[in-house]
Amino acid sequence: MIAVGYTMIYGVILLINFAHGEIYMLGAFFAVTFISLLGLPFYVAFFLSMACCSICGVLLDIVAYRPLRQSPRLAALITAIGMSIFLQNLAMVIWGSRPKPFPNEALPAYFDKMAVSFGGVNLSWFHLFIFGVTIVMMVGLNLIIKKTRWGKAMRAVAQNQTMAALTGINVNRVISYTFALAGALGGAAGIMVAAFYNSLYPTMGYVAGVKAFAAAVLGGIGSVPGAMLGGVVLGLAEAFGAGYLSSLYRDGISYAVMIIVIIFIPAGLFGKVLKETKKSM
Amino acid sequence: MDNLKLQNLTRGAKIRIGLLILALILPFFPFVTDYMLHIAILILLYMILALGLNIVPGFNGLLDLGYVGFYGIGAYTSGLLTYHFGLSYWVIIPLAFINGAIWGILLGAPTLRLTGDYFAIVTFGFSELVVLFLSNEIWLTRGPLGLPGIDVVSIDLSLFGGPKWEFVGELPYYYLAIVMVLVTVFVMYRIQDSRLGRAWFAIRDDEVAAVSCGVNLLGYKVIAFAISAAFGAVGGSFFARWVTFLSPDMFKFWESFLILCMIVLGGMGNIWGVMVGAMVLVSMSEVLREVLPLLGLPVEVRFLAFGLIMVLMMRYRPAGLMPIPAVAAKMRAGRVKRKKVKATVGMKQ
Amino acid sequence: MTPILEIKKLYKSFGGLLALNNISFNINKDEIIGLVGPNGAGKTTLFNCVAGIEKPTEGQIVFANGGRTISIGGRKPEAITALGIARTFQNIRLFDNLTVVDNVKIGRHCRTRSLFFGAVFRNKSQQAEEKAITESANHFLDFAGLKGRGEEIASSMPYGDQRRLEIARALATEPCLLMLDEPAAGMNPQESRDLMDLIHRIRDKGITVLLIEHDMKVVMGVCERVVVINHGEWLAEGEPRDVQNNPKVIEAYLGTGAAGAA
Repeated sequence: MIAVGYTMIYGVILLINFAHGEIYMLGAFFAVTFISLLGLPFYVAFFLSMACCSICGVLLDIVAYRPLRQSPRLAALITAIGMSIFLQNLAMVIWGSRPKPFPNEALPAYFDKMAVSFGGVNLSWFHLFIFGVTIVMMVGLNLIIKKTRWGKAMRAVAQNQTMAALTGINVNRVISYTFALAGALGGAAGIMVAAFYNSLYPTMGYVAGVKAFAAAVLGGIGSVPGAMLGGVVLGLAEAFGAGYLSSLYRDGISYAVMIIVIIFIPAGLFGKVLKETKKSM
Repeated sequence: MDNLKLQNLTRGAKIRIGLLILALILPFFPFVTDYMLHIAILILLYMILALGLNIVPGFNGLLDLGYVGFYGIGAYTSGLLTYHFGLSYWVIIPLAFINGAIWGILLGAPTLRLTGDYFAIVTFGFSELVVLFLSNEIWLTRGPLGLPGIDVVSIDLSLFGGPKWEFVGELPYYYLAIVMVLVTVFVMYRIQDSRLGRAWFAIRDDEVAAVSCGVNLLGYKVIAFAISAAFGAVGGSFFARWVTFLSPDMFKFWESFLILCMIVLGGMGNIWGVMVGAMVLVSMSEVLREVLPLLGLPVEVRFLAFGLIMVLMMRYRPAGLMPIPAVAAKMRAGRVKRKKVKATVGMKQ
Repeated sequence: MTPILEIKKLYKSFGGLLALNNISFNINKDEIIGLVGPNGAGKTTLFNCVAGIEKPTEGQIVFANGGRTISIGGRKPEAITALGIARTFQNIRLFDNLTVVDNVKIGRHCRTRSLFFGAVFRNKSQQAEEKAITESANHFLDFAGLKGRGEEIASSMPYGDQRRLEIARALATEPCLLMLDEPAAGMNPQESRDLMDLIHRIRDKGITVLLIEHDMKVVMGVCERVVVINHGEWLAEGEPRDVQNNPKVIEAYLGTGAAGAA
């Protein structure tokens, strides 16, 4: 049950963006900074960090990705990895490379208390918090994408950038908006994970980023509910696999699942297969 | 290699021969320390690795993110064979080559039918799994404890009643590395100018047209991947017998990325460009390692610099320092498209 | 008149769209036969089915070569090329960044063999093969009128020459049947005349030619027989003059080109 909460968070990270793992990491760090340095209460720090992560996401887009918007995949990929390395090390320089504990004092006291108990499984308020936030975010994301104008614009841009531009959509702004949204979600995920496992360190984003991608692939790239489902499935697989098989290969399970899925069901559970419009690079 | 007369050589060829001679006599200069030789050997090793990787994105146009997996497999296989059976390095080189090729085929056959992005991700997953395997299978690899005590390379003529020379210090490895680089370059040149190379370039330029000429896409991609893996494994075997100690964290994704940067920086697809790229990045890494503490910055900042440099390179010179026409055209195509879109969209703003 | 290619009741649908609807016709050996029809009629789809890039939904394509008949519907494109059917593309697919002669050398791929060990060790048979490849590539370049242009980069050539290069490359695969997809598109009258001459010379070498073409001068000047399709269906067939005057054909084109050409 613990794992489900953890992995629903994965479902929240959607973009094929290596550096996204870093925003997730930054979210955690921002929160800690705000809490410990500024002594802000938990919820305030939470939202403030999310906002900062949004901004970082947009900055990342403007600075690193936008100039390469039409460049071949390889250039964009290298840039993404480059930014990821840059941010990881920047964090190391600023905050030091050792793992830090999450300031537990800041968490609302009732987080530790049991809230619900059934069938031998105990859920604390913290678990419920994670559940709740994740569900709210996923539902919210779904609503945004389906119902609002921005959401429709995002879907249009995802399908065909040139046509979208010709119909009057400001493609750049829509993409920035997507990054902002993803940034907020990623940051939130980072904070929750850091708080839950009581430790944060500059390289936490790396593995999480890859697994998030695996979840997205499993569910089908381009499909939001698919990614969410993918996150859940992957998390469960990981938790049970680690329990019954070998805990050492916990991460490996994600990778293996990802490879198997890509080879056999490239469209994932819900998504559309990415067709190569131009050459492979 | 028909006309070797001095006057007939192009300027480029003369430069390269000059550099080779310089490299051969380098250790005899007085100011050259063991440390510098060590760096030089590192550069040569990465040249081999970069040339190996170059086959896949450079000649074929596919992105391989899991190259370090083959490097690691080669290193550990070589290390373990030496550790347990005391095999001579000269036997291990061809074994490593074959082993690498086999793994290349195993990984490539099911995955090379995928489109570029997915293939890249799968190769990445592969290399991560390799690292995990190396770390966790302690009964085989001693995991994070590392594998020490690998024999150095030796030339053993005792079977013929001759002496046995063990490699001591950096110098013999330096010359061995030069020889291996030369062999690698030779092979690359031969392939480039052959039916196999042409088939690869055709695949890179236009897969559909290549098929219409009878090129079996999957088969040739697998061959490319296997040969690339083979060179990675050979590089790994050299590494194992040179540093005589292995541990799984030497083979993380960072290495794949680094080698990829070398070929992109130098000019993907261009044999010499790739070698220049290897030289530049390894030197830069070492220079930064020395310089940064002087500036009061911690050593980790050099990774920061790396990331930044790669981002800037992609922004301004994506085809590399010595680009070949094919890659330059691809990268330029992006810019032209962007201008066109701006032109058509501009009016509606 | 022995048929070299028989298309029997060919259907091809893409999802809901039926691109080819019960097409049947034969191509005879040493013929120059034209495939015409308004835009979107399904001509290139037909090419793609024969060449192996698309798989027919139903129906058969039978290729007769050297006494054997082989059903080729659904086979892989590289296998079909090896069997002796070559094609060019509507939007010219050259290996842009390679030299002209390399483009043609790649055309020789399906008739040659050497791989890694040959490339690296250069034994006698590999060397002989390479020599043969170079010689034949130059021969085909010559034949197509591109003598001496071998070292130019393919993408730097003028349009008409690029088309000829593509034809040279297709010829290098030593086909029995050559399929040309709008070879005269974008050509000026002189280039079109050169093209017609080239097609005749190709046929004189014993290669059957099937071409899709909109330029009626070329169709009239070169084709001995014409097949007309529209909306994926067979419409008419026969000698160019007869087809040109066929009222159904005129109606299909609605007076554009067919009636006013030649």
